[in-house]
Amino acid sequence: MQRRDFVKLCGAAGLGFAAPVGLSSVARAESAETELPSYEGPYYVVFNASGGWDTTCLMDPKGVNEMNRLYKDGEILTEGNHRLAPTAAHIERGMSNEDFFRRHGNDLLVLNGLDYSVNNHSPCSRYMATGKLDSLAYPTFAALVAACNGSEVPLAFLTFGNYSSTGNLVPMARVPYLNSLSRLANADGVSGSARNPYHDDFVTDRIEQALESQMKARIGKVHLPRVERSQSMLYAAQLNSKALQRVTPYIPKSTPKENLSQQADIALASFKAGVCVSANLNIGTFDSHKDNDTDQMNRIPTMLAGIDYLTTKAEEMQLREKLVIVIQSEMGRTPTYNKNNGKDHWSIGSVMFMGRGIKGNRVIGATDEKQFLVPINPQSLATDMEKGIRVRPEHIHSALREFAGIDTHAFAEKFSLDIPDAERLHGLLSQDDMGT
Amino acid sequence: MKRSNARTATRRLLTACLLILLLTPCRPGLTSVSTAFGDAAVSPPGESTSQEASEPGADDRSPVADHRGPECLVVDSFFADEVWAKVGERTCLKCHNVKGDASASEFLLRDTAHDRSKRVEAMRHNQLAFQRVAAAQEKSESRLLLKARGNLDHGGGEVLKADSTGYRILERFVRSTASRRRLRSGDTHASGLPLNEQIPPFFDGLQMMSPRRLLRRVTLSLVGRLPSKQERGAVDIDGLDAMEAVLDDVMQEEAFYERLQEAFNDILLTRGYDGVAETALSYEHFKSRLWYQDRDPRKGLSPEEKKELPYSHPRMIAYTKLVADYREGMRREPLELVTYIVRNDRPFTEIVTADYIMVSPYTSKGYGVFEELQDKFNDIDDPFEFIPTKIKALINRNGRQTQESETGFFPHAGLLSSFQYLKRYPTSETNRNRLRVRMYFRHFLGIDLMQLAPRVNDAAALTAKYEIPTMQAADCVVCHKIMDPIAGLYQDYYVVDGKGIYGPRKEGWYEDMFSPGLHGENLQAEQRWRSLQWLGKETAKDPRFAVAMVQHVWYTLLGRRPILPPEDIDDPMFVARRRAYRVQQDEIERIASRFTEADFNLKVVFKELVQSKFYRVDGLATAVKEPRRVAEIDDVGVVRMLTPEQLERKLTAVFGKKWGRLIDREAKLKILYGGIDSKEVTERLSDPSGAMGAIQRIMANDVACKNVAADFALPPEQRRLFPGIELNVVPGENTASDQQIRRTIVYLHELLLGRFDTLDNPSVQRTYELFSGIVNDAKATQGLDKRGSYYCDRIDGKRLDDPNYTLRAWRGVVTFLLRQHEFLYE
Repeated sequence: MQRRDFVKLCGAAGLGFAAPVGLSSVARAESAETELPSYEGPYYVVFNASGGWDTTCLMDPKGVNEMNRLYKDGEILTEGNHRLAPTAAHIERGMSNEDFFRRHGNDLLVLNGLDYSVNNHSPCSRYMATGKLDSLAYPTFAALVAACNGSEVPLAFLTFGNYSSTGNLVPMARVPYLNSLSRLANADGVSGSARNPYHDDFVTDRIEQALESQMKARIGKVHLPRVERSQSMLYAAQLNSKALQRVTPYIPKSTPKENLSQQADIALASFKAGVCVSANLNIGTFDSHKDNDTDQMNRIPTMLAGIDYLTTKAEEMQLREKLVIVIQSEMGRTPTYNKNNGKDHWSIGSVMFMGRGIKGNRVIGATDEKQFLVPINPQSLATDMEKGIRVRPEHIHSALREFAGIDTHAFAEKFSLDIPDAERLHGLLSQDDMGT
Repeated sequence: MKRSNARTATRRLLTACLLILLLTPCRPGLTSVSTAFGDAAVSPPGESTSQEASEPGADDRSPVADHRGPECLVVDSFFADEVWAKVGERTCLKCHNVKGDASASEFLLRDTAHDRSKRVEAMRHNQLAFQRVAAAQEKSESRLLLKARGNLDHGGGEVLKADSTGYRILERFVRSTASRRRLRSGDTHASGLPLNEQIPPFFDGLQMMSPRRLLRRVTLSLVGRLPSKQERGAVDIDGLDAMEAVLDDVMQEEAFYERLQEAFNDILLTRGYDGVAETALSYEHFKSRLWYQDRDPRKGLSPEEKKELPYSHPRMIAYTKLVADYREGMRREPLELVTYIVRNDRPFTEIVTADYIMVSPYTSKGYGVFEELQDKFNDIDDPFEFIPTKIKALINRNGRQTQESETGFFPHAGLLSSFQYLKRYPTSETNRNRLRVRMYFRHFLGIDLMQLAPRVNDAAALTAKYEIPTMQAADCVVCHKIMDPIAGLYQDYYVVDGKGIYGPRKEGWYEDMFSPGLHGENLQAEQRWRSLQWLGKETAKDPRFAVAMVQHVWYTLLGRRPILPPEDIDDPMFVARRRAYRVQQDEIERIASRFTEADFNLKVVFKELVQSKFYRVDGLATAVKEPRRVAEIDDVGVVRMLTPEQLERKLTAVFGKKWGRLIDREAKLKILYGGIDSKEVTERLSDPSGAMGAIQRIMANDVACKNVAADFALPPEQRRLFPGIELNVVPGENTASDQQIRRTIVYLHELLLGRFDTLDNPSVQRTYELFSGIVNDAKATQGLDKRGSYYCDRIDGKRLDDPNYTLRAWRGVVTFLLRQHEFLYE
C-alpha cells in the first residue's frame, strides 16, 4: 500500500492519532518511493533523574553553610560560563562533572532556580514531565512532540519509565531489550527469519489488501468514536510495524553494561531507522534521604556517562546534529543534611538542555546562598529580584513547545499551558529565538 | 494583607476546603452511630437507601430534568450546567458548606456529587441560595458579584477575576435573577451552545450488543472460554434475562477466580513486592520461613557429592518446584484473600476487616502454623489450596518480646495488615508510612491524594521557615492533617530496613506528626495494638469504599478507569463532557448502592456492570455529527485492546491449545505487548504501538501456522476450525462448493470474531475474495510446491499435500482474521 493512500485513508476517517497530523517534517523527508512512514528528525530525548537530584552536586554548586559536604566554596570549578561541583575525586564509576562539562559545556544550557512548586514525587514528576501540575490528562513533552511530528511511525514515543502520559495522542512504546527489536523486525518470517516466510509473498500481499479493503469499508460506516479511533490505531500499528525492519542494521552487536546506555542504544537505533520521534530515558534511585553524597555520587556520574554515551554514539551514527536533549529531575534536595546524612525533598531545582539549535555555554537563573530561587526577567533572562518571575515547569514546557515548533499545533492547543505573554521566556533555548 | 499574600491565603483556603470535602466521609442516607471499635449504621426513619432508578438513562440527566414544583423550585439548566458546574461546585462549595471554612455564612451550599438520592433537592437548595445572594444588593450591585471579586470582606478573597469566564457566568445569572426570568430553551450557554432543557436520555441513539454477543464477551472476559451450548441456548430463549443465571454459574468457575486475582493485582500490584517472596515474613518473627531448606537434596552433602545432583536431576527438579510453589503461594496470598471472600459470598469489606489470613500447606509452614492446620487441608501436598486462619501474636526470635494483643492473636485487618501488601508499599524514615496512607486512599477509598497536590507560592521557603512544616505551614497542614494521623495508625508496622513488617519505632511514634487517629478522633493508647482493625472497620462504613470497589470492577471489565471530570470551563464541550462524567458517576453510585444493599457481595457488582448499558453499548443507530453529542459519547463502549493474558486465554479458547509466547518469560513479549511486571511496569498499555502491531502480525502468522494444517489433519468431527469442508473444495468450481466455502467463512467469523454473519454479508464476501484470490494467484503462479509449507503444514514430519493451494489459502484466511479488531479487542 502506498503511504499516500494510507494518509488519505486515515485522513478521510478523521481518526484520532493514527491520522498523521503534523506531517510537514515527515513529508519533507519522504521520498517518492518510500512506502512506509519515516521520521527524519529532529529527535527528542528526555533524560530523567528519577527521585530528585542534588543540584549542588552538579550544575548549581554551593560551597557555604555545609550545603554540600563534598567540597568547599573555593573548590567550585568553572568551565566556560558554567559553575560545577568538583566530583572527580568522589566517584568510582561513570563520568565526573569535570569531564562532562569539559566535553559538553559548550553545548550545554543550564537553568537554575526552577520552582517545582510542590515536593512530592508523584505530582512533581507529572508537573515536570507535562508542564501541568493539576491535571492527570496532559501529555508529557516527549509524547506531545511525537504526536505532533510523527505519530504514524511505529515507535513514535519510546519510554523507559518515569511519568509517561500520552494524553491519548500517540501510542506509548516500551522496548525493554535491544534484541526485542530484532525479534519484531521480520514479523512475517518464521522465528523472525526473512528467508523463511510464513506465507508466500502473494498471500501476504492478499492479506494486506484484504485488511486495507476492510479498513476502507469501515471508514464509511457509523461507529462509536472509540471504535473509530481504535480501528484506526490498530490498522496503523500493524501497517507501520513493517518499518521496524529498518531498525535491524542499527542494532549494536554488543549490549552495554549500563542500563541507561542500553536505553540510549534502543533510542538511537530507532531514530536512525526513522521509526521514532522521542524517547523518555530514565535513571532511578536519586531519592537520597540517606547518605546523600554516596548516592548522588553514584547516580549523577552514571547519568552523565549515559548522556555522554548517547551523544558519542549519535555522533558516530551521524545523528548528533538532529538530537534535542532535555536533562531533568522531578525535584531538588534540601540545602541541609538530615540526621542520616541524607537530603530530603526540595522544591527548587534545575534543568539542562543541549543539542540541535540550543545555544550552549549558558547559565540562566540562579539560586541564592540558601538555595532559594532568584526570579528571572522573562525578557532579558537575567535574574531580577524586583520584577522577575518564578520560573516553573509550565514556562519551560512553553519554551520547549515553541522551540520544537509545535506550540500552535492543535494537540498543543488542546493541552494549553496558558502562559501570559509577559511570562514567556524569550530566547531561553536558542538566543536568537529561532526554532529548529 | 498584601495582595499576593491574600491570594496565597485564598488558594490555601480553597485547597483546604476542597481536601476536607474530598477526604471526609459522608454517609448518604445513613445516620452513623460510631465509636472507635463499635459501630452501627441505621437508616433514618422514613428514609430509604434503596435506589430510585435502576436503568442508566432514566436518571442520567442533570437535575434540570426534574420539572415538578412551582417555578421557584425548578432548577434551570443554566444554573445546573453553568452556574453550578463551572462556578458553584468548583469554587464556592469548597468553603460554603457545613464543614467548610465558611460554614458560618448564610450562603451555605450542598454537595451534589455524593448522594444521588438527594441530588435534585440539593441542586434546588443551591439555586435558591445563589438567587438570594444574587438578588441582595450592596450599593446597587449584587452581593454575589462583589463577594466573588473579593469585596465585602469575603473570607475567600478574590475567587474570580472580573474578566474570567466564571465571573461572566455569575453576571449573567445576576441579570436573569433581577429580571426574574428563567433562562430556558432558545437561550444559550456561555459557550454559545443552546440551552436545551429537553435533553434526550444519554443512551438515546446508542445500540446495545445482542445478548449472544454479550454472552461471548462475558465468558471470554471472565473465564477465558467460549460460551457453552447450554448458555447459548438460554440466551437465545431468554435474551438478556438469562445473563443473571449465566453469570451466577460463570462466577463459580475456577477460571473466574484466576481472572479476579489478575484483576486485583493490576490494581493492588501486590505481586510486585521487593525481594524473594518469603521475605514478606521477617527473620525476626518467623523461624520457619525457610522451611524448604530442610528438603534440599544437597543439604549436608560434600561439594563432591553435590556434583552428583545437578539441577537437572529429578530430585533437584522436584525441589526447585517445591521452592517455586512456596514462593508463588506466598506472593499470591493477598489475592487469595480477595478470591476467598468473593467465592464464599462474604462481604467484600473483609478485604479491610478480615481477622484472618489465607495460608496454603506450604505457606503455613513458613508461618509456622502447619502442624495445627494440616487436618484442615484437603490435600497437604497441594501448594495452592488456601484456607483462612489466624496467626498468634508475634514473638521475637529470642522469645523475649511478644506482640501486644488482647486476644493473643495477630490483629489481622484484611489487606491493611497483610505482610505482603505492606511489603509492597514499604515505609521509611522520611515517608513514615505516608506511602501506605496514599495507597490506602487509592485502593480502598478511590481517592488519588497526589492528584490533589496543592500548589504553593514558595514550597522551599515554607520548608525552611518552619521547624515542622507539616504541622505548622498551612499549605502543608492541609494534607498532612488528614494523612499523618492515619500514618500513625500504621506505627506498629515500622520496619524501615525492608527486613520485616511488624515492629514499632524504638523511640516511640513521631511527635512531629499529627497524632495517630481517624476522622478527628485520637487513637487511644490501649487500642494501639489493633489500630489497623479500627481503620478497617471505619473504612468499611465509609460510602466511598463501595464506590471505590465498583470503580475497581469497572477497571477490570472495561480496561480503563472511569473518566475524570472536565477541568477547563472555557472548553466549548465542557457541559457535554461533564454530562458524560456525571452519567458514569451516577451509574457507579447506583451500582455501589446495590453492592451495599447486597451486603457487599462483589459478584453483584460484576452482574450489575455486565448488564449495564455502559458494558453493553456497541454502536450508533445513526451517524452523530453534532460536536456536543460526539463529546458526550467519546468514552462510550468497552472497545478494549486485550491484554497479553487475555489474548492468550482467547487463543486457547478458540484453538483449544495455548500459544504461550505472549506470557512466556523466555519470549519476553509480555512487556512489549503492554503487560505489567507489578513492580517497575505497573500500567497496562491500552493503545498499540508499532511494536505491538508487529507482535500481532507474528501472533496471527504463527497461530495460523500451528493450527490450520493440524486441524485439517483431524477427522472432520474432531476439528475446531474446519469441520465442514475439505481441502479439495475449490472456489469457482460450482455453486455448491462456493456455498460450502462461504459457510466455512461464516463459521470462522463466529468462532474467531464473534460475528454472526449471513452468507451474503460483505465481510463474508471479502474473506471469500481473499481465499479465492489466493487460490487463483497460486494457480497462475508457476513452480509452486504442491505440498504445504515445511514450517507450517507438516504432520508427523510429513508435509501435507496441497495440490490446489487451499490449505495455504485457509491459513491465509485465519491469519487475516486473527489480525482483526474484533479478535484483538473486546
